[in-house]
Amino acid sequence: MSIQNLNTFDPFADAIKGSDDDVQDGLVHIRIQQRNGRKTLTTVQGLSSEYDLKKIVRACKKEFACNGTVIEHPEYGEVLQLQGDQRENICQWLTKSGLAKPDQLKVHGF
Amino acid sequence: MTEEDSVFDPTLKKKKKKKKTTFDLDAAFNEGGSIGDAMETSGDKENQEPEAPVPAEDDEALDLENFGRKKKKKKKAFNLDELDAALPDTKKEDVVEQQTEEIVVDDTFDLDMDFSKTKKKKKKKKDLDELVAEEERKEIEDKENEETSWVGSDRDYTYDELLVRVFNIMREKNPDMVAGKKQKFVMRPPQVVRIGTKKTSFANFTEICKTLHRQPKHLLDFLLAELGTSGSVDGNSQLIIKGRFQQKQIENVLRRYIKEYVTCHTCRSPDTILQKDTRLFFLQCETCGSRCSVASIKSGFQAVTGKRAAIRAKTA
Repeated sequence: MSIQNLNTFDPFADAIKGSDDDVQDGLVHIRIQQRNGRKTLTTVQGLSSEYDLKKIVRACKKEFACNGTVIEHPEYGEVLQLQGDQRENICQWLTKSGLAKPDQLKVHGF
Repeated sequence: MTEEDSVFDPTLKKKKKKKKTTFDLDAAFNEGGSIGDAMETSGDKENQEPEAPVPAEDDEALDLENFGRKKKKKKKAFNLDELDAALPDTKKEDVVEQQTEEIVVDDTFDLDMDFSKTKKKKKKKKDLDELVAEEERKEIEDKENEETSWVGSDRDYTYDELLVRVFNIMREKNPDMVAGKKQKFVMRPPQVVRIGTKKTSFANFTEICKTLHRQPKHLLDFLLAELGTSGSVDGNSQLIIKGRFQQKQIENVLRRYIKEYVTCHTCRSPDTILQKDTRLFFLQCETCGSRCSVASIKSGFQAVTGKRAAIRAKTA
């Protein structure tokens, strides 16, 4: 028999959890959309709201040499939008930077 | 990929082994022989990959492709004499092994059903040949190593050895079991034609729905959600999609559809029924009787691609 009040409680449990890189939960959907002509858009939906998407998009723009923006959507939250077909780039970059694991990425489109 | 990992799959193990083994010359000659065999029957044409490297493909498929490519480079170095000399070597395997190995190889390929009837069929066959020859050699080596290795000695059997053994026994005892053998899932390739500059027609859409035993609406929903466009079925029962798409792109999406919504997640048999039950879709397998829920089709976030002024005019 144990007394509830005497149970050990780790006050730093949250902190330990926070330092883990499991901030990202759920799938990251990477989609492609055709625009006029040969132009395309890549959207990245489902990145954790803990991340600063503005910083991410800034890094992506520099890395892939494309323009991009963060769009606030009432249902899907903040969505990254990049110009051109950046699906492979963004997959590699997200895994390399440790923002998401490869099995959390889901690539849609052709 | 996740569910595939959890599913027990003998081919996975096989592949790992393949990677580990170092390159030896004899093996290369054997390999060359088998490739050359295939090459003689079919022209040089299919040497080039019919499919562009697919980013969305799962790891397994990518591995296979890379493997094939490496081999192709090698092959160019051999001349015919060497090939002929090597040929008898490849033929000495007994029939049983060939059977079992074909089964293993089939397992790997069952997800990407071939859109055959084109020259792709030849290519796939060749790939199979290569793999079969490869696996057969491995099998012989394995046999020599593993069958004999623990018979005399007192050491413990390793897991892998026992696994190979039990699978061999299983295949010997019942050659046409569910897990080992699979009926190849042959499909017609989608006929994709451009209409004008902005639209694409998927001519045999309903036919493909029929072969997959799926509602056209379900496949339509999936296609449109994946491609992120709009479209509809017209009077001649062909699907008109907005945007430019090539046949191989549509093939890719179809492959993904089949993997998720047609083949059984447990035994990979295509003999399944998709039923809706309390707002969720369930995949019921006719072969193994398993029943599992499948992901619902969501188009997700759609960026604004048209003219903003036009949208504003429509809503206001």
